[in-house]
Amino acid sequence: MLASFDTHLFWSALSSGPYWRGALTALEVTAASLPTALVIGFFVALGSLSKRRSVRMLAWIYNWLFRATPTLLQLYFVWYALPTWWSGFAQSWFTPFMAAWITLSLNEAAYASEIIRAGLLSVDPGQELAGRALGMPRRRILQRIVVPQAVRIAIPPIGNEFITLLKLTSLASIISLHELLTAATTLTSSKFVYNEPLLAALVYYLGIVSILMVLQSRLERRFTWTSRRRRRVAAPAVPAVSHDAR
Amino acid sequence: MADVVLRSENLHKRYGELEVLKGVSFEVDRGQVKVIIGPSGSGKSTLLRCLALLEPPDEGDVYLENERLSALREKQLAPHRSEVGMVFQRFNLFQNMTALGNVMCGLVEVRRLPKREARERALEFLERVGVADKASQYPDELSGGQQQRVAIARALVMRPKAMLFDEPTSALDVELVREVLDVIESLAQEGMTMVVVTHEIRFAQHVASSVLMMDAGRIVEEAPPDEFFSAPKEERTQRFLALVE
Repeated sequence: MLASFDTHLFWSALSSGPYWRGALTALEVTAASLPTALVIGFFVALGSLSKRRSVRMLAWIYNWLFRATPTLLQLYFVWYALPTWWSGFAQSWFTPFMAAWITLSLNEAAYASEIIRAGLLSVDPGQELAGRALGMPRRRILQRIVVPQAVRIAIPPIGNEFITLLKLTSLASIISLHELLTAATTLTSSKFVYNEPLLAALVYYLGIVSILMVLQSRLERRFTWTSRRRRRVAAPAVPAVSHDAR
Repeated sequence: MADVVLRSENLHKRYGELEVLKGVSFEVDRGQVKVIIGPSGSGKSTLLRCLALLEPPDEGDVYLENERLSALREKQLAPHRSEVGMVFQRFNLFQNMTALGNVMCGLVEVRRLPKREARERALEFLERVGVADKASQYPDELSGGQQQRVAIARALVMRPKAMLFDEPTSALDVELVREVLDVIESLAQEGMTMVVVTHEIRFAQHVASSVLMMDAGRIVEEAPPDEFFSAPKEERTQRFLALVE
């Protein structure tokens, strides 16, 4: 029961500058980190599927390193320890935003690589065989045939990752990134109330994720290959990557 | 001297412990249709893949018009593959492209033709196998027979020196087999050099220049179709034919 709910405080929090800017920052970090993570993750995935043992080993070590350590620890590490290693990171360009972007990209790449690997493996080997039979070089086969089909499989779990990343940005409040959670905690500690500021933050997260889900379903339809663009039965399942405690 | 298009010499292929090809020498002359039959696991598909330059042999060589191709590395090999057309049992049409896109793909990606020219030529070949009306459909929306005909057009459009068919009708419903065999027959009449792995005995009798029996990684017997089917010499062939017919 909400014994004393201050509607006015709730609305003013919802429409306040720190909330808007915080939400925007959270979205920016997410939107910057996911593409970077997908690019790194793609190459890690290719590495893990390589014929060369040493390359597979490197990919494995990467995944092991970033999945076996807490994201919060990684964030601390990048923000506090990295500048002591190399003075290039002690410059003014290295803002909390940059630190969050770097950490979350590297971290997410490990998870994304597993999804991309599963996506690549889910494409029927006959597709590559047919491409080779036509005389296409391996690179073009990957570009024109295998990757587009793997994308179809990877979209739903990657959508999940986007949501996870968005929520992970709240961790960056500890390295003084002014994101959404910072706005909420600042308000709670100045007014000594919890309901309204926290609920307002919750509404933002819900709003952003809802918009995202709509975009995702549109993207999925874009990668469904029928002339009528009808909905297809769910794609083969990709092993879920669980990371509730990241 | 006969005009040999595709030839293999003493081909050996191993997968781990299993030796799938145990020294296969084989050749097909220009305009000939060779039909290969044999039980599953006898090495028919592997032979075809070696001839299509998709599998490097462990021993022995593959020659295309007297050029020794098994000596080439992967990079140099890729363009030569388009000179041999391959049709697969499960069609293997690119799922993310329309029928037209599938046929255009090789022209655009390998032959580097401008899109417009590629489209025109692709349509011409779709017409030839009788699926021009399905040009803008995706593989998912086509019947097995239509998919296989598109796959044949995709290989033909590259103007290969020989066509290889790996059980082209085995994955088809019975009533769709005929439309695919008709296309292959008409190619034979036009003088296309072909190697066909199939269980369609009547097709073999009707179209083949010669029929080969494969078993346990070797060619057991080769003869013209009337001789092969009416009076097979080898005991292994007799046993196999008794089961198939």
